[in-house]
Amino acid sequence: MIRSALALLFLCVALPQVGFAHGGVVEEDDICVIKVNYLRAHFKIYQPRVTAHEQFCEDLPAASESVFVMEYMHDALQAMPIEFRIVRNATGKGRFARMEHVAAIEDLEAETVYFHSAVVEPDVYTIAHTFEEEGDFIGIVSATNQDTGEVYAAVFPFEVGFTGWGYWPLLIGLLVLIQVQYLAMSGRLRRWFGRAGPAVLLLGVTLLHMPHGAHAAEFVVTYSTPDGAPGINRMQSWILHVETVEGVPVEGAEIEVDGGMPAHNHGLPTKPRVTRDLGGGDYRLDGMRFHMRGYWEIVVTIRREGIEEAVVVPLTL
Amino acid sequence: MSIRPVTLAALLISVVAAAWLVLRWDAEPRTWSAESVAVLESLSLASLPPLPPDPTNAVADNPLAVELGRRLFFDTRFSANGRVSCATCHQPERRFTDGLPKGVGIGMSRRNTPSIVGTAYSPWLYWDGRRDSQWSQALAPLEDPAEHASNRLMTIAILVEDKEYWGIYKALFGEASGVDTMYANVGKAIAAFERTIMPTTSKFDRYVAAVVAGDEAQQAALFTEDEVRGLRLFIGEANCTQCHNGPLLTNNEFHNTGLINFAGEVPDKGRVAGVREVLEHPFNCRSRHSDDPGKGCAELDFARTGAELIGAFRTPSLRNLDTTAPYGHKGQIATLGDMLIHYNLAPEAMIGHNEAEPLNLSARELAHLEAFLLTLSAPFTMAGDAP
Repeated sequence: MIRSALALLFLCVALPQVGFAHGGVVEEDDICVIKVNYLRAHFKIYQPRVTAHEQFCEDLPAASESVFVMEYMHDALQAMPIEFRIVRNATGKGRFARMEHVAAIEDLEAETVYFHSAVVEPDVYTIAHTFEEEGDFIGIVSATNQDTGEVYAAVFPFEVGFTGWGYWPLLIGLLVLIQVQYLAMSGRLRRWFGRAGPAVLLLGVTLLHMPHGAHAAEFVVTYSTPDGAPGINRMQSWILHVETVEGVPVEGAEIEVDGGMPAHNHGLPTKPRVTRDLGGGDYRLDGMRFHMRGYWEIVVTIRREGIEEAVVVPLTL
Repeated sequence: MSIRPVTLAALLISVVAAAWLVLRWDAEPRTWSAESVAVLESLSLASLPPLPPDPTNAVADNPLAVELGRRLFFDTRFSANGRVSCATCHQPERRFTDGLPKGVGIGMSRRNTPSIVGTAYSPWLYWDGRRDSQWSQALAPLEDPAEHASNRLMTIAILVEDKEYWGIYKALFGEASGVDTMYANVGKAIAAFERTIMPTTSKFDRYVAAVVAGDEAQQAALFTEDEVRGLRLFIGEANCTQCHNGPLLTNNEFHNTGLINFAGEVPDKGRVAGVREVLEHPFNCRSRHSDDPGKGCAELDFARTGAELIGAFRTPSLRNLDTTAPYGHKGQIATLGDMLIHYNLAPEAMIGHNEAEPLNLSARELAHLEAFLLTLSAPFTMAGDAP
C-alpha cells in the first residue's frame, strides 16, 4: 500500500512535465497535430542538416536549420492566409506560456527571431529558419478567416537544444506497472473489469466483423480496349460495359472512374472520365494511363436511379 | 595425439561441402526466364517507338527550324549579360547537364539541370512538369531572372537584327507578327532542334540483344557477373522498374521519393504546384500559340491534380548517369552510391508521402546495382554540331 501511494505521488509530480507541455501542438495517435482554433494540421519539424529525416513534434535537439511543416487536415486552411512567428520565450511562463502571455510581451518585434507574413499556401505550409542559439522559444501560427476577418492563433512553447526526457518516461512506466501489478494482486482489477470483460470483448469482435457499407451487388462492369491491350506509359481509351447482375445493359448511368495501386498507395497518373454514353450499356472512357507494372484496381462508381455502387475492376499489367 | 581417419574424412567432407555451397551461392545464373527477357526487351532502346509528331509545333520536324533552333540554343546573346545560352546549363559534353546541384545562369536557378536527351518523348517538361511541350519549355529560361534574365522583346529584337536568323525565321513563319506569337515561334525552332537529341545504343542494349539472340558468349563478353546481378535486382527485388520503365528508363510521371530539402530552403512542392501552373499557362497546348489549339491536349484534359502530388517530381531517365551527377531535383545527392543508399532506406518524406519502400539490400547488392546502372550510358545524337 505504501508502495502504491509512493508511485501515485511520483506520477502526480512527474506528469505535468510530460502531458501539459504542448500548448497548441499535441500528439494524437502517434502523430503531431497543431490546432489553430478548430482547424487542425499535421505538424512536424525537421533539422535536416543534423538529424536528416527524423521528425520532431516541438522540442528540437540543436540550434540548426529547422523546417516547420503543416500538412492540413482541414481544407479551410488551404485558402486562409497563414502567418508564422517565432519569438524568444520572454513570458516567464516557460512551457505554460499561452496566447495571453505572448500578448503581454511589451516589444514583440524585439523578441522575434523569425517572421513570415501572412500568405495563402495551398497543399502544404512550410517555413525554414536557422536558429542561431539554443534556448526557449514560442511559435505563433495565425490564420485569418477571410469571411469573418477573425484571426485564429496557435501558440506552442518549445525548446531548442533540448536533450530529451532522459529516463523519466521509463521511470514513470515502471511506476505505472508497479501500480497495476498492485491492483491486480489486490484483486481490485478483477472486481472492476471482471464481469464486463467478456461482454466488451464480444462487442469488439462483432464490430470488427461488421461489413462496412456493404450491400447487394447491382452492377457488373467489363471493359474492352479498342486501341490495343492495356500497357504502360500510353494514353488509352476504354469502352466500359455496365450490366445489372441479371445481364440487362445499364444505360444513362452517371459514371465516375478512379483507381490506383493498393500496394504502392497511389492513384492513377491521370484523371480519366467517361466522355460519351455509347448506348447499350457501353460508355467511352478517355484518359486512361498506367505508369507502373503490377496490380491495379480501377474503381468504377455507377449512379442510376438513386442506386450508387462502386465496382472494382482488377487489372495486372 | 592422433586424428582418427573417420574424423578426418568427416572434416574433409564438410570443408568440400562448405566450399561447394559458397561457390554455388555466389554463382550467378546467366540465363533469364522468358518473362524476364520480355522485361529486358521492354527496357532496350530497340523498343523505342518512332518519335511521335508534335501537333502543337508545325515546324517540329522541319530541317530549317532545326538549324535555326540549333544556332539559337548555343547563342549567348539572348541573355542579360550576353554570356548565357541554353548550352550554359545544358552542356552537350555532360549529356546536356552541368555538373552542379542547381543550374547557374545569371543567378542560381531553382532546380537541378535535367538532361535533354530523349525528352521529346515526354508529355511533361521540367521536374514538376510545369510545361507540356518542348517549345513552351524553351521559352521559360529566357525570361527567368536567374537564368537568361532576358525578355521576349529583347529576344525578338536580336532575332530581327541578325540577318541570317531573320531570313530563316521569315522562311519558316512569315513576316513579323504579334510579340507573343513571334516569341512562341522562337521556342518552336529551339524545340525542333531539341527533338533531334536522342540516346544511342548502350552496353545494356547490346546485352539485351545478345540475350534475345541466345548468344551466351556475347553476353559474357558484354556484362560482368556483378552487372548481371545488378540487372537482376533492377528488374526484380529493387523495384526500380516501377518508375524507371520503358526504353528511356522513365515513365515520365511524378513521384515523391522523400529526398531531403536543399539546405536553407523549404521542401519543394513539386508537381502539385507544377500541374496548377501548366493548366493555366498561356503557352500550353490549349493556348492560341499551339498550332493545333485545343485539340489533342489529352495530357492536360486528364491531368491529375491534388495532394497526392505534394513533393512529387518527374522520374528522370537513367541513361547516362555517369555524366549527369549530382542527382535529384535539387542535386541534393552527389553520387550514384548515395542515391542507392537513399532508396535502400526510403525515409519518410518531409512533405507528402514517400512512395518508395525500404529495400533492405546489402551494400554488396547496392554495388551490383550501381555497376549495372553504369551500363546504360552511351553517346547521344543530335542534328549538326555544337559550335
